Amino acid sequence: MSLAAIDKPTGSPQRGDAASKRVAIVDAALACVAARGLKATTVDDVARAAGMSRATLYRTLPGGRDDVIRAMAETELARFFSALAVAMGGAEDLEAALVAGITTTARWVQDSAAIQTMLEIEPDELLKNLSFGEMDQALAVAAGFSAPFYGRWLEHEQSLRAAEWATRIVLSYLLDEDEMIDLTDEDDVHGLVGRFVLPGIEALASSTRTL
Amino acid sequence: MAVPATKERIVEAAYALVARFGPARTSIEDVAVAAGVSRATMYRYFPGGRAELIDEVVTYEYRLFFLRLYEAISDAETLEEVMELGLRTAHRAIEDHDVLQMILRTEPEILEPALRAQSSETRELVAWFLTPYLERHELAPGVEVAQAADFLARMVLSYVGAAGRWDLDDPAQLTELVRGELLSGIVPQVPADR
Repeated sequence: MSLAAIDKPTGSPQRGDAASKRVAIVDAALACVAARGLKATTVDDVARAAGMSRATLYRTLPGGRDDVIRAMAETELARFFSALAVAMGGAEDLEAALVAGITTTARWVQDSAAIQTMLEIEPDELLKNLSFGEMDQALAVAAGFSAPFYGRWLEHEQSLRAAEWATRIVLSYLLDEDEMIDLTDEDDVHGLVGRFVLPGIEALASSTRTL
Repeated sequence: MAVPATKERIVEAAYALVARFGPARTSIEDVAVAAGVSRATMYRYFPGGRAELIDEVVTYEYRLFFLRLYEAISDAETLEEVMELGLRTAHRAIEDHDVLQMILRTEPEILEPALRAQSSETRELVAWFLTPYLERHELAPGVEVAQAADFLARMVLSYVGAAGRWDLDDPAQLTELVRGELLSGIVPQVPADR
């Protein structure tokens, strides 16, 4: 299909309008969550913050509140992964890639007003997906996304392991803070990665064994 | 501090009911009857009611879990052995824990707050347990025991909580995870030509 063919039917004002309305709703929802948390945020709050009527919101996201939350999570995840891709893609060596991945994630969490409010007033809403079986899934998603960025220096299997390990470190230090190590601090993370993580990854990379 | 016998009896009765019926269908009244105490006594020990009681049940079983784990692995001699045995034993204990698995299937949300509240305490406990093993082991240049113990404790808890890409029941993989991945930066690496 040529670009022109895609452009014609979808280039109508309605479609572009729906996409921009969706972004407006997501950003309004993020502001609401930052202000009062997820549980207390209603569809009316979001519509008001987005400067649109309830009816318009439902036309854009027919599932109402559930759809708003899903759109918000998807959009934020896409934005986060883009930031991660930029930071990790510019790394010059494996250590720099690990440090970039870890610090970018920690800073994203720290800078997100919505995440910070939820951590403070309703941590369960945010963290219920991070234990046992659910955690396995979170690890798989995060590792699957970040593994290709290690591919310049590691075999595929080792990339997945490096990515999973970095994800574990991020989760451990974010959920159970440490006085000595601040994951948003590049020097702290360099120390941690250089001392404890890189040797393990290099050992795995140099072992000829494959699974 | 000694736990009063009555409180312990209530918690044990509550655990037995939770194990049979699940937390949602365990009421304060059922527990009072099973423990042979009055409602008034229940609320004297658990002024926060059902939620506080369930929290206490989780904490109680959680402490027992670590006590059993401690007994199972304290015979290990080296750092490598204790980490491998600890990971394998804890992983199996969680997989085989019928009550835990039932709660995870039906009402995982009751576990989160209790587990999270204890996460620092647990990490410190694991680090404390690993410390003598690290002190007895030759360490790579520049590695401090306290720092290494904290890092290893975090990683052990992470792998026990979710195995990810690793099969912790496979001894070969356990060895690779512990000796290859986790300890490579901590213990001196034997040069290939030695």
